[in-house]
Amino acid sequence: CSRLHTKPSISPTLLLSNMYQRPDMITPGVDAQGQPIDPRKIQEHFEDFYEDLFEELNKYGEMESLNVCDNLADHMVGNVYVQFREEEQAQRALQSLSGRYYAGCPIIVDYSPVTDFREATCR
Amino acid sequence: RSRSKSKRISGFDMAPPPSAMLGAAAAVAATGQIPGTAPTIPGMF
Repeated sequence: CSRLHTKPSISPTLLLSNMYQRPDMITPGVDAQGQPIDPRKIQEHFEDFYEDLFEELNKYGEMESLNVCDNLADHMVGNVYVQFREEEQAQRALQSLSGRYYAGCPIIVDYSPVTDFREATCR
Repeated sequence: RSRSKSKRISGFDMAPPPSAMLGAAAAVAATGQIPGTAPTIPGMF
């Protein structure tokens, strides 16, 4: 979505923009060199990412939900939404993650207004 | 799914390759450059 959503100044939910980089993000099922990728490899890659993420975020507090967008469209690609139980936990995670890298890419972290993912649509 | 305790290295804090880092550092250095000191005009007090 091209809309500029308002970013709250405090929220229990964080948005890590474009953090999950699919190995086949250019063409589905094919890597950057044009070689087909085994779907199990893609699944494994995703699970490794999720595990890294979970272990890191778990340091800051208990999570209510952890959502990773692995859609291939250019909408919200690779966005990670993490909702903590408390705003303070999200605040600590935000401070700690800002300016760090994940797999060679800078981590872009902001508060997100989303608190109910079943109701989360673009408004 | 069983996974051994000796886990692969986390992707967290995995910095970009040195070549990319150098490029970024060079870009910062170029844009953040302080213009040379104002030339002193001879004969002025």
